[in-house]
Amino acid sequence: MATPLLEVEDLKTTFSTDNGDLTAVDGIDFAVDEGETVCIVGESGSGKTVATESITRIVKEPPGRVEGTVRFKGRDLLSMSEEELRQIRGNGIAHIFQNPQEAMNHCYTVGWQIAEALQIHQDVPDKKARARAVDLLDRVGIANASTRFDDYPHEFSGGQKQRVMIAMALVSDPDLLIADEPTTALDVTVQAQILKLLDELQDEFDMGILFVTHDLGVVAQIADRIVVMYAGKVMERGGVLDIFEHPAHPYTQQLLNCVPEIGGNEGGIPGTLPNPHDPPDGCRFAPRCSYAEQTCRTGGQPEELDVSPGQRVSCIHYRDGRDPSLLRENAPGVESGSNGVSSADD
Amino acid sequence: MGFGRYVTARVLWAGVVSLIITTITFLLVSAAPNPSVQEAATQAALQGGDPAEAAERARELRGLDQPLYVRYMDFIESVYTFDWGWSRSRSQPVTEALGQGLYYTAQYSVPWTVLTVLIGPLVGVYSAANMYSWKDHAATGFAFFGYAIPNFFFGIILLLIFGVWLEVIPVVYNTDVAVFSVQNAVQLSIPVFVLVTGSIGAVMRVSRNESAEFQNAEFMKTAKAKGVSPLRAYAYHVMRPTLVPLSTTLVGQLLALFLGSSLLVEVVFGIPGIGRVTYNALIAQDTNLLLGSTLAFTFIAVIGNLLEDLVFTVLDPRISYDDR
Amino acid sequence: MATQKPERFDQVDWTEISRSRWFDLSINSIGMLAAALPLLIVALYDWQVLDERTPTLEPVGPAWDVGTVDYLFIFTLLLFAFYIVLPLFQNPRRTKYYWREFKRNRPAVVSLGWLAVVFVGGIFGPFFISAPEQSILTGYQPPVFLSVEQSYVSTCVGEVVNNQCQGTWQHPLGTTAGGKDVFSGIVHGMTISMQIGFITTTIVATIGITFGTVSAYAGGWADELMMRFVDIVLSFPTLLMFLLILYIYGAGLGMFIVVFAAFAWGGTARYVRSKSLSISEEEFIKANRISGASTYRVVRRHVVPNAASSIITQLTLLIPGFLLAEAQLAFLGLGDSTIPSWGQLISAGRSDLSFAPWIVLAPGIVLFLTILAFNFLGDALLDALNPEAEAENA
Repeated sequence: MATPLLEVEDLKTTFSTDNGDLTAVDGIDFAVDEGETVCIVGESGSGKTVATESITRIVKEPPGRVEGTVRFKGRDLLSMSEEELRQIRGNGIAHIFQNPQEAMNHCYTVGWQIAEALQIHQDVPDKKARARAVDLLDRVGIANASTRFDDYPHEFSGGQKQRVMIAMALVSDPDLLIADEPTTALDVTVQAQILKLLDELQDEFDMGILFVTHDLGVVAQIADRIVVMYAGKVMERGGVLDIFEHPAHPYTQQLLNCVPEIGGNEGGIPGTLPNPHDPPDGCRFAPRCSYAEQTCRTGGQPEELDVSPGQRVSCIHYRDGRDPSLLRENAPGVESGSNGVSSADD
Repeated sequence: MGFGRYVTARVLWAGVVSLIITTITFLLVSAAPNPSVQEAATQAALQGGDPAEAAERARELRGLDQPLYVRYMDFIESVYTFDWGWSRSRSQPVTEALGQGLYYTAQYSVPWTVLTVLIGPLVGVYSAANMYSWKDHAATGFAFFGYAIPNFFFGIILLLIFGVWLEVIPVVYNTDVAVFSVQNAVQLSIPVFVLVTGSIGAVMRVSRNESAEFQNAEFMKTAKAKGVSPLRAYAYHVMRPTLVPLSTTLVGQLLALFLGSSLLVEVVFGIPGIGRVTYNALIAQDTNLLLGSTLAFTFIAVIGNLLEDLVFTVLDPRISYDDR
Repeated sequence: MATQKPERFDQVDWTEISRSRWFDLSINSIGMLAAALPLLIVALYDWQVLDERTPTLEPVGPAWDVGTVDYLFIFTLLLFAFYIVLPLFQNPRRTKYYWREFKRNRPAVVSLGWLAVVFVGGIFGPFFISAPEQSILTGYQPPVFLSVEQSYVSTCVGEVVNNQCQGTWQHPLGTTAGGKDVFSGIVHGMTISMQIGFITTTIVATIGITFGTVSAYAGGWADELMMRFVDIVLSFPTLLMFLLILYIYGAGLGMFIVVFAAFAWGGTARYVRSKSLSISEEEFIKANRISGASTYRVVRRHVVPNAASSIITQLTLLIPGFLLAEAQLAFLGLGDSTIPSWGQLISAGRSDLSFAPWIVLAPGIVLFLTILAFNFLGDALLDALNPEAEAENA
């Protein structure tokens, strides 16, 4: 197997605050292959955003501190200097963010901001940069792109702004696009359009996408593989079909249960995320898990275990000599067969 | 409403404001007993004539016997045609006297304005970028110092140190040197420094506090993710939005100082600028000249406020022209 | 830090307030009336009965001729005592809380201390320290611990060492050319500064609050017209207008206070208007209006308490401007020469700066410190009002 486009190993991000250190991401691993879409899934506050922002170290440092290894095309990003890293940001790895309202500077035209992203990395004359930006605006579906180039962000709707952000991200032809909840702030119809656009652009630009979301409906539409995060740790990972059909970790099961179309339980997961200043011993999810035993509450996060080819889970119930089937009683994948996935595929 | 119509509306409004202030000035002056009429009456009485008759004649001579509205129309007409009368104390037309004053005022006002506009925002943004460091505290301390020290007092002290004790600058402004000469730069350096110190504090504070907000904005993260260097990020993405709220403070601060302290600074340093002309007119009881300089300052204030509005609108693309 | 929502002037005890009717007066208003009525009577007596040259208090003793400005000053002091100081005692828990919050900003605490000195010195100083008197023979006395060449001084009060006249405690900050004691000049200047500060802010607050609320409640074209009027007031070159008035009519301290206050309320009016508009939207006001509360009551009970902290901040930042303007005019020789203000002192010492710098420096530094203190205080209040801006604790 070729080296993955992006390889993250033991990534750990700590913030120093007035109340002591706060570990938002606590040693996670994942990889993204070329042309592949990987989704990081989890509740708000589980550390997904910090994890993606730690990859190119755009997370604020200080108070943040990023440790571990991030290899992009085989080069370690975390050992690079700021200078070298800047060459990667926007050029090799591009970002789009959750809130397109605020992600653009209100004082500059959208065209200026797109051209800036290009001209930082390539010595392109203004005219050519403009032509390229207009092309991209047109490509992402902004009508009258050549006149809209000179409009300011506030003259665009939310969905259009996210399209502009996508154009801005793509202007330097990146190999990896990190999309942090890009559709959360948009309404449902616009959301579907943006996802479709990203899907088309992925083939066209041949890029890997690392997609962060808490919305499993969105995951079902675009993901190839899924990484489930909870309180700074990875709970489970695997192919999208495997996880939707046979969610192994109780957390994943509950998460799927919360999607109205799939499981029907709209109540959400009982309990709240643990205090990040003082995370619980053992499995991070144990305090909210109905299957937790004494073993779950001691030591560190359990090791990851294979449940099926490519699917791994961090739960003691899958250790040798244990019977994981008791976890499956409430699992949506089992109860409703493959309905869950097919309905989400629609 | 388009930008053109907005500008037109603002300019018209500025015209209205200037008219109102001019009217108030007229009312103030016409409500007071005219000193020249009284003078004529006293003169007549001293020479054994009829004071009442002499006063009447003097009044007639100056058109004061006409009804108020006729005098008002005359006054307004001459104000807006720049027919501001004759300066008794300087034996020249009022407009000419003011023009000469303005020539000297501009010599220190231009560098003062330029320095404030250049240094203030830069230091403010730098302060924000290094917030709560000793550099920030030093800048804040300086800002408060400049804000609080009375300009004329500061001027006297510096004049004492550099003019009297060290003898680096002349104690009295020398009008004979060329405008663009080293001597002129030296003798204007202290007044400019005093004024910059006075105006820069507020500018620094506002740019510090505003840019502190913008440097944590989401769009800074976007910029960083695009690969923008920190220097460029501050120069473009923080500085530019900071200029919007700053423009109001900047123009307001410069204007307030110009209308108030420049008069004091000119008196302290002996610069024969427009502030000094006003002061001398007051001392010499030259009504026409005093009225003229009051109007000149009024128009400068009105134009300044107009500029402030326009600059603000140009800087902030989000302003809709329908708002006002 | 952000866990606890800071309590402010804004947060008033609504139940207590809604209980009271506006005709049954609070203890504060009773006290205010009780104190202001005798003042009014004395003022009328002074104005109508006594002839101009008789000092007001001659029948009772001290030869203090109370002027218009003094009456206004006492009146504003009463307002201050009954509506700002007394409420602090009436609610000690809240006062303690303010103090705890306030203590964290060290420059502001020092500033408040300095202003307290100026305040106390300004009110009680003149009763203990007599006004500076002319005494040509003892001119140019140096401050204590300093000395000046004997040739400048006609009679040295202190010792003469090596032909240098030494300063004495009799004139701790030296004397002016006319032999006026600089220290007592500064103390009497505190009174002037406090008069300017208190009276102008009272006028500004009264006009600003009235104008702002009337504008907000009138709405429509009246509101538009009134706000345009505020625009004009704000773009008025006050100092020049004052010069013109001074030239035509002549002007003392009273006129100065009136003119400067008359052109300074624009900002307060704008603020109060926007605050009233936002408050009148809020449910409790609607409920109040339905239950038949008068506009006056809504303004008095809801708008003013809610906007109080911001208004106080604005006023704090206005005062230094007035003090500066007075000093500037005095320096130009255009001020009220009958009053011993700091500006008059600075102006008096200007020509002797090279050998007797204390005459300018002492009042100048006091003026500087006072303006600085008001600015620090205003800044601290501004910080406290804006929960997002962290208070600087350095």
